[in-house]
Amino acid sequence: MLRYMLRRLVYTLGTLAAVSVVAFLVIQLPPGDFLTSFSAKFAEQGGSLDNDSLTALKLRYGLDQPWYVQYWLWISGILFRGDFGESFEWNKPVSELMWDRFGLTVLLSGITLVVTWLVALPIGIYSAVRRYSWLDYVVTFLGFLGLAIPSFLLALALMYVFSRYFGMNVSGLFSPDYVNAPWSLAKVGDLAMHLWLPVFVLATHGTAALIRVMRANLIDELYKPYVQTARANGLGEAELLFKYPVRVALNPFISTIGWVLPNLVSGAIVTSVVMSLPTAGPLLLSALLAQDMYLAGSFILMLSVLTVIGTLISDLLLAWLDPRVRYA
Amino acid sequence: MAAFPGRALRGAALSLLLALSGTAFAAEYKEAPGLSELVKGGKLPPVAQRLPEAPLVLSPVEKAGKYGGTWRQALMGGSDSLIERSVGYTRLVRWNRAWTAVEPDVAQKVDVKPDGTEYVFHLRKGTRWSDGAPFTADDLVFWYQDVLMNKELTPSVPRWLRSGNDPVIVEKIDDVTVKFRFTGPNGMLLENMATTFGSDILAAAPAHYLKQFHKKYNPDGIDKLVAEAKAANWSALFLNKISFPGRWRATGRPVLDPWQLTVPYGGTTQVVLERNPYYFKVDPEGRQLPYIDRVTFDIMGDQQAIVLKAINGELDMQNQRLNGLETRIVLAQNRERSGYRLFKAQPAWSNAMCISLNQTSKNPVLREVFRNRDFRVALSLAINRDELNELIYAGQSQPYQAAPRPGTALYDAEMATQYTKFDPKSANELLDKAGFAKRDGQKFRLGPDGKRISFAVDAATSRRYQIDALELIKKYWAAVGIEMQVKTIEESFAFARMLANEHDAMVWIGGGGYDFLGVLDPKWYFPYENQAAFASAWGIYFQNPNDPNAEEPPEAAKRQQALYVEMQKTPGTAGQFEVMKKILAITREQFYVIGTNMDADNYGVVKNNMRNVPELMPDTFFYMTPGPTNPEQYFYE
Repeated sequence: MLRYMLRRLVYTLGTLAAVSVVAFLVIQLPPGDFLTSFSAKFAEQGGSLDNDSLTALKLRYGLDQPWYVQYWLWISGILFRGDFGESFEWNKPVSELMWDRFGLTVLLSGITLVVTWLVALPIGIYSAVRRYSWLDYVVTFLGFLGLAIPSFLLALALMYVFSRYFGMNVSGLFSPDYVNAPWSLAKVGDLAMHLWLPVFVLATHGTAALIRVMRANLIDELYKPYVQTARANGLGEAELLFKYPVRVALNPFISTIGWVLPNLVSGAIVTSVVMSLPTAGPLLLSALLAQDMYLAGSFILMLSVLTVIGTLISDLLLAWLDPRVRYA
Repeated sequence: MAAFPGRALRGAALSLLLALSGTAFAAEYKEAPGLSELVKGGKLPPVAQRLPEAPLVLSPVEKAGKYGGTWRQALMGGSDSLIERSVGYTRLVRWNRAWTAVEPDVAQKVDVKPDGTEYVFHLRKGTRWSDGAPFTADDLVFWYQDVLMNKELTPSVPRWLRSGNDPVIVEKIDDVTVKFRFTGPNGMLLENMATTFGSDILAAAPAHYLKQFHKKYNPDGIDKLVAEAKAANWSALFLNKISFPGRWRATGRPVLDPWQLTVPYGGTTQVVLERNPYYFKVDPEGRQLPYIDRVTFDIMGDQQAIVLKAINGELDMQNQRLNGLETRIVLAQNRERSGYRLFKAQPAWSNAMCISLNQTSKNPVLREVFRNRDFRVALSLAINRDELNELIYAGQSQPYQAAPRPGTALYDAEMATQYTKFDPKSANELLDKAGFAKRDGQKFRLGPDGKRISFAVDAATSRRYQIDALELIKKYWAAVGIEMQVKTIEESFAFARMLANEHDAMVWIGGGGYDFLGVLDPKWYFPYENQAAFASAWGIYFQNPNDPNAEEPPEAAKRQQALYVEMQKTPGTAGQFEVMKKILAITREQFYVIGTNMDADNYGVVKNNMRNVPELMPDTFFYMTPGPTNPEQYFYE
């Protein structure tokens, strides 16, 4: 096991180094740089930036240097000083911006994940066990709807309905009165009032998908001989169900834990943009669009690190669960 | 420009003031109730000591107002210019509301030497920054000597502050008088100062605050400040304090604006501004402005979310991000329910879509074809603009070229409407005559190389109307034997291609419009810069003949460029417009850009009980909408 872990760790470090180069290159690939998109934004609002200001900005941001010099400045800052550089668009240290968003992102994703599992697993199990019952059909129908409706569209529609007919303030996570208030019980209450809509929208798709997966996995297991044997041995239905087929059906979820971590950052970007949620996704998107390279690069690096770590965790978990993996 | 005499002369000059402003002048200044409390508590000097000796007496749009209330607006993303426009429009001189002239603001008066080489700014004695520190000539000298002339902060002096290659020289005459001197004429200094450039001066002027961030004045402490802010070096730190949007990222910067930041624009929280107790303007009854106590900006990620806020009555006055036909319909529908009315925000440019065929395209065949004037005229005649108007612009628009708007000083009816009549027959004849008579098996015309003339037009994905309109135009042009493809690409990518002269053709909003827009941003009238998409390489030549992408333009364009240089040396609007008319005569003749339809008016929302908001304002970054309409005199009934 130890050998296996060490080997995995070495691979992980190599992957991370490669990823950091690729992450930086990807941002450098599109033509133009931050200043091009900055002046495009000006032009979109009917303005114009003169060349002298552009030259000055270019020097200020070091954009006149070749990409490998820029890369070295960036990566050496991260490795030696823990400094992710400055965001051009926000004129702030990148780390400050990222941590700013991280808390609410984790909270929102965490709650969404819990809600998804709490809703999806029982329903999935039920519709596998009572296959082709009328309730299964209803759940299947809703599941397909949930899968088919894009989350951002659902978000827009719900926002319109709740704002038009119920006069609710539907964007963001706080009411205007509480946005800048210090944390208090009232602010937590306000957050709770705002949280359910994004959670509902974000959870819909995942729940629908999870129900389908759970149902399919479980149906595969339910008709296997070992279940028959257990039943023949007189095991009660409930105990049988939860002790054996459900546990086996849950196995594939372990290997997807690797995707949960990066999803914290990049999950449902469009939805978050539409709902103006103060999470990491919209920041990443705007950084990419603005070619705000240190911010976007750091985000992509973080995403990759989270994916790699997530994969490592799920590999280790699987190895722990399933001895065959260890000796492969 | 009107001059307001000092306090000592007030009695004697009363009649003069009456004549000037047409309103009575109060002997006693008044202030907002919240400020009176502070004065009583000894936390603030009395209002008369906070105002300059001769405050600017502002005539309101409708009537004198009353104090109180919060003005709620919304920003999109991290660098929305709205904050700069709506609460940051204070400079030495500013645009008047109608956008027909420059008028005094922080400066009480400007004396201009007739040859345009000297500008003497007379400041208002006793003006104070929002933290109470006096604003004097020394502040402007600090901006000049320690910011503009500091190579680390300003590697190259902006063009508008130069004449030829020589930068401006700023001299202090006395505490309230400053002279801007040029080695040659610089005729457009005041106009440029009224645009966004003007705020760059005042943001870099509060010497008493900025000195701590300046290496020269704080050589020992600066490293610590740089490290604390995690900035790359001192100049990055300093520039963040003074340039847009960095200057809105932190509180504490003294301003001369009506409101000052209390919660900065950074990250996710709402931006908040509170009244500036030292603001230098009063209403005709002597009440210190602004009327409105607070301004808030919610930060949104998506335009539709801002529209939703507007129709829900959560925006008190705003037009930014509310343009577009379908938005206008929902805005109109929800007026009664949410208690707001609409005001017109007229695009300052003239055209909803200008088609630029790049005459300096890197494709030699296309370049030859596009340089053929008859080809461009024929393509213009082939467009059915009335149908475009019905199908795309809901009948709200009219056929128009890239020309000044009706009612402006530079308006030229012929230029505005030439070749806008739908006439495919003449188009075909012109194309035949121009040497493109031969066609291939699919009836498409052949170019000089014997191959089909075929080109792609870049269109930004974010402008759906333009893409729809182009699809129709593709059909119109195919009917006269010209093949065009609509190439939709992401906006900044399209922009990058244009700047590098890599596009064959592209569409964008634009085309002159209001007088000052055409004067300050003439890229639709002649190859002025790389953003003149109909001939980027010629435009690059005008800015810098040695640029590797530059190409020498033909005679007519060079004459226009020379005329523009002449105009830049001409002080005074009348003289500038005279030269501009000469430039436009050549534009009309050259027919560089194919205009389609006039951009229909957009609308902004304003709460029913908010007054003093004009019913129509030009909408452009150059006017800094809504800044020149004096938000400081908006009020709630």
